[in-house]
Amino acid sequence: MPKWNDIQGQSFLESDARARAVGLVDEGTFTELAGPFDRFYSPHLETLGEAVEFDDGIVTGVGKIGKTPVFVISQEGRFIGGSVGEVGGAKMVNTIRLATEFHDKLVAEHADLSDEEKPVVVISFETGGVRLHESNAGLLAHAEVMDQLQKARHKVPVITLIGSKVGCFGGMGFVAAATDAIVMSEYGRLGLTGPEVIEQEMGKEEFDSSDRALVFRTTGGRHKYIMGDCNVLVRGKVSDFREALSKLVVLPVSEFEKMRRIGSPELVEKQLKLVALAAEMQPKDARDVWAKAGNADAATLDSKPFDEFVATVKRLEV
Amino acid sequence: MENVETMMGRGRDAIDMIVDTDSFQEGTVGAKTFDDPEFGPGAVVGTAKLDGQDVTLIVSDAMGFNEKFPVVYAGIIGMEEGYKMAQAVYASLAADADKPKEEKRPLVLIVDTPGNGPGKVEEIFGMNKATGAYQLALAEARLAGHPIVAMVIGRAISGAFLCHGLQASNILSLDSSFGTMIHVMPLTSISRIIKKDLETLEELSKGNPVFAAGPQFFYALGGVEEQIGKVEGMRPAIIEHIKQIRAAVAAGEDAKLGPWGRGALGAERNGRVVRPKVIDLMNQEFAAVAEKYAPSR
Repeated sequence: MPKWNDIQGQSFLESDARARAVGLVDEGTFTELAGPFDRFYSPHLETLGEAVEFDDGIVTGVGKIGKTPVFVISQEGRFIGGSVGEVGGAKMVNTIRLATEFHDKLVAEHADLSDEEKPVVVISFETGGVRLHESNAGLLAHAEVMDQLQKARHKVPVITLIGSKVGCFGGMGFVAAATDAIVMSEYGRLGLTGPEVIEQEMGKEEFDSSDRALVFRTTGGRHKYIMGDCNVLVRGKVSDFREALSKLVVLPVSEFEKMRRIGSPELVEKQLKLVALAAEMQPKDARDVWAKAGNADAATLDSKPFDEFVATVKRLEV
Repeated sequence: MENVETMMGRGRDAIDMIVDTDSFQEGTVGAKTFDDPEFGPGAVVGTAKLDGQDVTLIVSDAMGFNEKFPVVYAGIIGMEEGYKMAQAVYASLAADADKPKEEKRPLVLIVDTPGNGPGKVEEIFGMNKATGAYQLALAEARLAGHPIVAMVIGRAISGAFLCHGLQASNILSLDSSFGTMIHVMPLTSISRIIKKDLETLEELSKGNPVFAAGPQFFYALGGVEEQIGKVEGMRPAIIEHIKQIRAAVAAGEDAKLGPWGRGALGAERNGRVVRPKVIDLMNQEFAAVAEKYAPSR
């Protein structure tokens, strides 16, 4: 395990789940819950004769940023693509539940509790969703996570970070969309249906999944930022994500409602305006939508230097 | 009643089999009306009487085809469908906003869907938001006291079942004799992707329900509360489950309902036995350090 200071300078993209979990919170504050020494691994992988990991590919725990208790969930893409099964799913679900319970306890005990003393949840996604080796249990765990997200509403802000290799797809794609705030690097990808499946459905002429630039234009951080699906776009180091996170955790929970994209009747109406635009435009490429948003330089927007992109890009308004 | 072999593709027929005769008003939920027939045709929403009380119905329509989004057919939930379903839930919440928790109107979800819209336009605009929006609305309604019963009549596949079904208070399914399909992927596809031969998987699935396809395996995992063996059994079972859910809400036992309640059911039925151990240990471990994370005063 690298030192905390060294983790800060590491590429988020290259960092494993534990380094991200430890590095996102203040030095020396992270306590892992259901960690590898507890040896909770997937009994279903064992039944299939597959290799197991003693953390089941997900690091869960609690740390602090300043005065804020931060409940951390960090997925490991190097273990079966960060997929979610019975054990890993339970760890994720219960981390959010513990944060909500802790919030209620602190609020009951401290009449003068400040916003920055209230807990938050941060999820560093790296997953394609359900683990097929134990698909039914993985599916049911997704439903539990969505339930816990709604139970945390108006109490505990849940912040998504996406900047790891696998991206965030499948059922976890809508779990991320259902959180309060989304921070991405331009290397992060967010979606529901992975590129290979779209190619399979629509044909290679419509969508070539081996075209990396196309894949990033459709689901990457820059595109999601233009669409308003990502709230904050950051550079690629662990310290960049940590800095964005530090600014968010001190905000009152009401501020997070303004960052949401779904979760109220008003937001559904707003999304339906986007869907109407999709129906009207029938875009062949995300660049069509970037141009619609007012970017005259849509053709070169994805290759602009990061700072220039963030400073000049026009985001879609409906 | 007719001798029914399968209900797949028959969402609209299922409405008539379940609700009070001729009581279904399509396109009206509380004060909200859905007037555009071309909007989200893969999802039927409306209000009916069930045993004399108002219920909201949200139904997959496998016969609907969305001209604007051609990936939406055969019961697929597209972007319009997901948001339309969410609107029906929010309209139910608004209609009963002044009623006490025990008196909120039930929602009945009739489930027969093979997937969420898998297209390029869907990814550009964010299909993940549409399916997520509907799930959050359902969870909010359930937590507000609305009894939600999902009735699986045909296909309840993967993300589409998460979207339309798995946030319900209770889930019922026609049993496998109706060809009801509940799974993430057929075992043949799983076999190919995880590189395990089909015979091995079939043998293992007899004793382990986590990767096998079918309502009986979801029942064993606590993912389905009850299996129904006759189509005429759907109506009385839904009425009975609404009663039970109301009783649980009135007794403050909301934790028995929805995905969290089904987690406990999964352990009771010996389908998901490690989950509760993980949760218990995490609770203990956090309790031991919680003081460190509380504000110092």
